[in-house]
Amino acid sequence: MKIKNYFLASGLALLLAPSAIFAQGPLDPSLLLKPATDAWPTYHGDYSGRHYSTLKEINASNVKGLTLAWVHRVNLGSAGAIVGGEGPDSALAGGAGMEFGGPSIKAMPLMVNGVLYFAMPDHAFAVDARTGRQIWHYVWKTRGGIHIGNRGMGMYGDYLFFETPDNYVVSLDARTGKERWHKLIADVKQEYFSTPAPLIIGNHVIIGMGGDSLDVPGWLESRDPETGEIQWKWYTTPRKGEPGFETWPDEYSAAHGGGMPWQPPTYDPELKLLYVPTGNPNPVMAGQSRNGDNLWTASIVALNPDTGKLVWYFQCSPHDTHDWDATQVPVLFDGQIDGRPRKLLAQACRNGLFFLLDRTNGKNLLSKPFVESLNWYKGIDEKGQPVRDPEKDPQIAGVLVSPTSDGATNWPAPSFNPDTGLFYVGTSQSYAMFYLTDLDLRPQGWGAAERGVGGVGNYLRAIDYKTGKIVWKHSTLIGAQGLLSTAGGLLFGSDGADNFVAYDPLSGKPLWHAGLTANPSNAPETYMLDGRQYVVVGAGDSLYAFMLQK
Amino acid sequence: MKGMKVIVIVAFFMWATTLAGAKQPAAGNPGNNPVAPQGGGPRFDQAAVERGQQLFVAQCGFCHGSNATGGQSGPDLIRSVLVMDDENGKQLGEFLKVGRPDKGMPKFDLSQEQTKDISAFLHQRITAVVNRGGYKILNILVGDAKAGEAFFNGAGKCNTCHSPTGDLQGIGAKYDPVTLQGRIVMPRGRGGFGGGPRRGPVEGQALRSFPTVTVTLPSGQSFTGLPLRVTDFDVVLRDDSGVLRSFTRDGDTPKVEVKDPLQAHVDMLAIWKDSDIHNMTAYLVTLK
Repeated sequence: MKIKNYFLASGLALLLAPSAIFAQGPLDPSLLLKPATDAWPTYHGDYSGRHYSTLKEINASNVKGLTLAWVHRVNLGSAGAIVGGEGPDSALAGGAGMEFGGPSIKAMPLMVNGVLYFAMPDHAFAVDARTGRQIWHYVWKTRGGIHIGNRGMGMYGDYLFFETPDNYVVSLDARTGKERWHKLIADVKQEYFSTPAPLIIGNHVIIGMGGDSLDVPGWLESRDPETGEIQWKWYTTPRKGEPGFETWPDEYSAAHGGGMPWQPPTYDPELKLLYVPTGNPNPVMAGQSRNGDNLWTASIVALNPDTGKLVWYFQCSPHDTHDWDATQVPVLFDGQIDGRPRKLLAQACRNGLFFLLDRTNGKNLLSKPFVESLNWYKGIDEKGQPVRDPEKDPQIAGVLVSPTSDGATNWPAPSFNPDTGLFYVGTSQSYAMFYLTDLDLRPQGWGAAERGVGGVGNYLRAIDYKTGKIVWKHSTLIGAQGLLSTAGGLLFGSDGADNFVAYDPLSGKPLWHAGLTANPSNAPETYMLDGRQYVVVGAGDSLYAFMLQK
Repeated sequence: MKGMKVIVIVAFFMWATTLAGAKQPAAGNPGNNPVAPQGGGPRFDQAAVERGQQLFVAQCGFCHGSNATGGQSGPDLIRSVLVMDDENGKQLGEFLKVGRPDKGMPKFDLSQEQTKDISAFLHQRITAVVNRGGYKILNILVGDAKAGEAFFNGAGKCNTCHSPTGDLQGIGAKYDPVTLQGRIVMPRGRGGFGGGPRRGPVEGQALRSFPTVTVTLPSGQSFTGLPLRVTDFDVVLRDDSGVLRSFTRDGDTPKVEVKDPLQAHVDMLAIWKDSDIHNMTAYLVTLK
């Protein structure tokens, strides 16, 4: 399919088209409780994080006829935009905060009542889901912070919420893009920066943040959607007297222990449990001042969403020393284990291990490597947690470790398909030399240097959730990547070479592809609108919508 | 031809990432691993930093440690929120005029300029922590050169392709030890953070370490060259005469074969013992 030619025709058609007809409206909260079909109401599409759609108008038998519906290229200029923010006017020069590696849509746009809502660092947009035309643009004058990406928005009725690189949560009126309020989350001078999409549960706006350059505390917080006031805060490391405190040498190291929760959580409305994957400990790679497992960093924790109280935890990387946060999606589904129905949570973790847990209590059911190159752990303990090999901690003279700090996978969403029983994930088998550079008893920041030395291949993989076995793998140029599977017998992803691809979920064979101007920068999403199924994907500075030719 | 060079380098980068298992930064797929603060971070007046350091060591070091990471009685100032929030000595100066008598910290009578200098020193220290790309790797030459030589000629089988008097002559003078160590493991070069090789061949660099691709058409006609792009759907190569050729792929047609002259190095990744890497580094640095 020759997309680039199509762009010209399509762009012309957009110019000539009559005004788009749309009817904005508030989000019906019940949409959050079921797999989305005529909406994509939250970052993961629904609370489960499965990135699976029951839609099948587009399916394996007709996917060859999938074609471009529209393309929307973002305009980051502030002319005509609604402007907010605490930074200087000069922050607007050059399209507000310039993103690392150029503008890239890492959000999963919300699609509610025919309108797509998404954010990028310092920007928020509403776009007509039928035509790709911009409805409004809000731009934020930044005070700074690392502009590495933004995962998008949360929606409560007519209110939108997104986070900024300088750590504000901003609420907009979805109908107009006008600001309702903004609130400070964390201090940009302490090198915090915020990328997550807020998650809405009842009247809670759940917010996390990132930043591990300095040794600062991490937390998750809940805010009131009406007022923006804090309802609760949960610190990612225990305070004195709390269980888990014994996994740190002292109060000081725990309070400076990091653990940033920068992936949007998932949620089980029946169990009323919020599943939060936490970040790496600090100091990041020099572990000498934090002997112990360092709870609750690099863990999956279950919280009560009304109180922020911890219910259970599972630690994916005890005493991590390679920046392997566990901020990969905790995917929720029900399945059969040993002939019994179980409520499950699966995660393909950055450290290269696939974990299957009972999500009612956090008990481990399976821990298996999902790549072949791992060389950093000695075994799995009775709790299902890896036992790290201390000889693979960063050393002065260098140690060769796989994976690198980028991990065997990373934040982009995997997909679980209940039809195939397979968990799909983009993977990397990279190697790096890790050098300890800070020998102080109280090291700071990263405390080590890393030098990449190649690898043995990236693959899109399908994992049998019951056994952890790799059912198939398909070579790609990209490691971690966002995925979507559907009841139409399709797995949408990319090849790392700017192709948007529909794969056969049973074999990994490509069935269809479209060459874009950049590689997809997060998972695709799908919804029905006016009785037709759309597939939308962000790639670089553009959103692309596909549908079947009539 | 300048444009062509750019294409080649970009495409080689893509190729390298296949082998490396690295992610393409351009694909918008990083973790939370930024390598430098936005805009390269603040700049410091080095003279002010040095004056500040002298003042700090003399006035503050006894409690806060000479490098400001804390001492017997004073906290780590690299982690001090007051210091992080300070702007050019303003907040620090106000604080020092009062001190924290309840915790045993006296007030300090310092001039505005002195406070500014101390602030410059502390902020430079914080920036050095933040700027992980600037961390200095320490002395990595801890290995045994003789054991390295034995590995080279024995278990490592390095001498089947390399010679200390041939291609590796003078290699210890050509590279610093860290670069040399990276090239022992992966001679195509190494990238920065967390990834694999982040560049293709640069001008003048020997291409013999880069792969070749052969495309064989159903007619039997075949083309061999440098793989600029190999995906499920297309192949682009540059042949020996410099001609760029592109092919679309449909499953197994045409036939595509990639040969990597460094396959032995790729295979070694899973086998290396760190002690062998250290010994090999110690050996090769002696080849001046």
